[in-house]
Amino acid sequence: MTAFTINGRAVDVTAEPGTPLLWVIREQLKLTGTKFGCGVAQCGACMLHVDGEPVRACVFPLSGAEGRSITTIEGLSEDGSHPVQQAWVELDVPQCGYCQSGQIMSAAALLARNPHPTDAQIDDAMSGNLCRCGTYVRIRAAIHRVAES
Amino acid sequence: MKTHHLSFSRRAFLGGTLVAGAALIIPLRLPTAWAQEEEDPLLSHAYIRIGTSGQVTFLLPTSEMGQGTHTGQAQILAEELGADWSSITVGMPNKLSDDYRIPFIGQMRSVGSFGIRFWHDPLRRAAAQARQMLTQAAAERLDVAAAALHAENGCIVHADSGRRIPFGDLVEDAMALPMPEDPTLRPDSERTLTGRKVARLDTPAKVTGKAVYGIDVEREGILYGAARLAPVFSADVESFDENSVSGMPGVVAVVRVPRGVVVVADSWWQAKQTADALDITFTQTPADTLSTDEIDEMLRQGLDRTDVPITTLRGEAEATLWDDGQVVEAEYSVPFLTHASMEPINCTAESTEERTELWIGTQGQDIVRMTLENAMQIPADQFFINTTYLGGGFGRKTHGEIALQAALASRAVDGRPVKVLWAREDDVQQGQYRQTMMCRFRAVLNEAGQITGMRIRVSGPQMGREYGIDPEQRAQSTGNLANFDPFSLGGLSDMRYVIPNFVVDHAVVDLPIPLCPWRSIAHSFNGFFFESFMDECAAAAGRDPLEFRRSHCTDQARMLAVLDRVAEMSHWHEPAAEGISRGLAVVESYGSYVAQVVEARADDEGIQVERVHAAIDCGRAINPGQVEAQLQGAVIDALGAAMRQKVTIRDGHAEQSNFHDYPLLRIGEAPAVTVSIVDIGSPLGGVGEPGIPPLAPALANALFAATQQRIRHLPLSDHVQG
Repeated sequence: MTAFTINGRAVDVTAEPGTPLLWVIREQLKLTGTKFGCGVAQCGACMLHVDGEPVRACVFPLSGAEGRSITTIEGLSEDGSHPVQQAWVELDVPQCGYCQSGQIMSAAALLARNPHPTDAQIDDAMSGNLCRCGTYVRIRAAIHRVAES
Repeated sequence: MKTHHLSFSRRAFLGGTLVAGAALIIPLRLPTAWAQEEEDPLLSHAYIRIGTSGQVTFLLPTSEMGQGTHTGQAQILAEELGADWSSITVGMPNKLSDDYRIPFIGQMRSVGSFGIRFWHDPLRRAAAQARQMLTQAAAERLDVAAAALHAENGCIVHADSGRRIPFGDLVEDAMALPMPEDPTLRPDSERTLTGRKVARLDTPAKVTGKAVYGIDVEREGILYGAARLAPVFSADVESFDENSVSGMPGVVAVVRVPRGVVVVADSWWQAKQTADALDITFTQTPADTLSTDEIDEMLRQGLDRTDVPITTLRGEAEATLWDDGQVVEAEYSVPFLTHASMEPINCTAESTEERTELWIGTQGQDIVRMTLENAMQIPADQFFINTTYLGGGFGRKTHGEIALQAALASRAVDGRPVKVLWAREDDVQQGQYRQTMMCRFRAVLNEAGQITGMRIRVSGPQMGREYGIDPEQRAQSTGNLANFDPFSLGGLSDMRYVIPNFVVDHAVVDLPIPLCPWRSIAHSFNGFFFESFMDECAAAAGRDPLEFRRSHCTDQARMLAVLDRVAEMSHWHEPAAEGISRGLAVVESYGSYVAQVVEARADDEGIQVERVHAAIDCGRAINPGQVEAQLQGAVIDALGAAMRQKVTIRDGHAEQSNFHDYPLLRIGEAPAVTVSIVDIGSPLGGVGEPGIPPLAPALANALFAATQQRIRHLPLSDHVQG
């Protein structure tokens, strides 16, 4: 049994040791906003926050979640009102949208620690998030928009 | 009880051609009918549904995989109908019918950048029919002439008296009216929802994690499946030992499927661990030793063949062989590419002897249906398909093998829902690649530096066979030769330059590797071949690449328009900024013309792309914001492919497996992209694909401008640092 907090809710879950957190939150907790893309920490589709830090859930073992506070895209805001989400809407960033939960979680973590990132800092912080649709131009613009507001 | 009146036309004008059997069904629905949907197949599909509450729902014919088609199609419908844009909902039908099939393909299929350009007219007509019926109902109720009424914001309005009747209040009366066969379309002056930037309908769901992709489908009692498939494409299972995984946690079943097994378990992780641990052997095949070197050799031999019939001829074939001018010759090649959608391939199925229902992000609903019909004898009336959002498609999600795996897995567990999900490694290694191709050019230039003759030999597989097209049959029906495959020659055989003597042929090399169109199909490589070679010819003639191209397409208004626009955007006629070199390319594909200029810093060590200018003529841009987005994305997508992507074969299987060795472009490598839409009154063109083809040649041409090094083989990373 592993106990942790997810999006402000206390949960107890059971799975084999070593099961990546990704599958527990998607299949058991039914929070499917966090995506599976590669399984080897290459693409960032599964990015969520553990105690506020961006973490790739596909390689984060469930056991590591014990006692921690986890935030997924569903918990970033109740109604899509987080500034990053709003900027994403204003600039119509997503295309297929599959990677965008991870992009938004990475961007939110970046802006929380650095409210006015440079292009280079954006590139650095977001380099772990792949987008096959190529929405990077608008992602960069949306992060700047949050920083300016 | 009121019976539901259904009026529909069995013959309709689609795309200007009278097509038998294609119907436009637009029942104005009462909410009570929704529950009966599955019992009445005719009611389960309808472009437009209006409930008595006034709720307007559009069931759309094209899958949403990021290209923005749902928003664009809804704009077309809502504008013509006069619906309240803020209150519409969109979805897709779960029952296949001819209403949703593209007639000349005969399938419901989201390919070829058809979403807007093909469906624009049929959707508009359906909306006009519905509007006219609602208007007529209002005219009778208000006892005024229909001509005195108009539809706006979900109401029929009588402007003279200021009276307004919401659509919902008119539904019952409208249902009793005949459907007009020849509805009047709105004049251009009333077309205010298309032609302008409209926010995507799916964005709010996609920034909150609420959008449901195939991988997110939830069903009561769902089980999860992971695959273990033969690494060699033509191999199958020799044997497997179920006992080797007995006692693994959560395992429910090990199910034999074509070319492998699917392990079904309580969680996907358990299924995956078990599939990996399974003791399984695969059959030996003649392809077990196949390698990229061997394939390259086969293609090279194809370049040299002397028995290849000409597929395209303009002018005199002999003139392309003359030596009494300046001769330019070059050979090009591209590797296999995989699609690498961010969402790995998956499908959820509930399948019994009586009924099969799927949840899948697919581009090819009818291909999925036919796959199950052929393999499991599932008849059409027992088949239901729910199309979810696709986490990218790029052509790959037209196939049915994942649906068959899911349906077989569900059958094996008594019809319980099973979600079969491929790991990324399966997604990369299970084939269905964009084909590898080689191309040899020979051009003859006259004293003025104009091309008088060009001969092109392509060598490689035919993509058309993936569409189930029999080359001999096609040859008979089209009058073309069997080696004329537009899905392999598009961008060469139909290129728009004026070259008086022009020959193309294709040495067909069949390979035991399954293929699947990749965003922009043949143009993805032929654009690179042709537009790179045009640059070579310009350089050989000592002419400016833009001026050289313009002089070869003086009668092509659309080509000139995008060339001139991109020249203006990039200040082509002025010297480039210090350290920047520029490359130009222009390609027509899928009904649109796109010209691009790549601005890069390049030396013999490497290349960094700083900015890409793109000009598109796609006719009237239904949603300019999404045209811009597609061009921005296509540039970055194509740049990643041109810089570093390739699938190579060793011992019969793909050597790459995940994003570490099949790298997509990352944000720090993404250039700025500026987009301009040229509107010169052209017919509607596609938007999802045409941004791809010009990028690779413009990039290679920029590198040449900087270094005089000509890159003729992709990816660039085989030659220079990215």
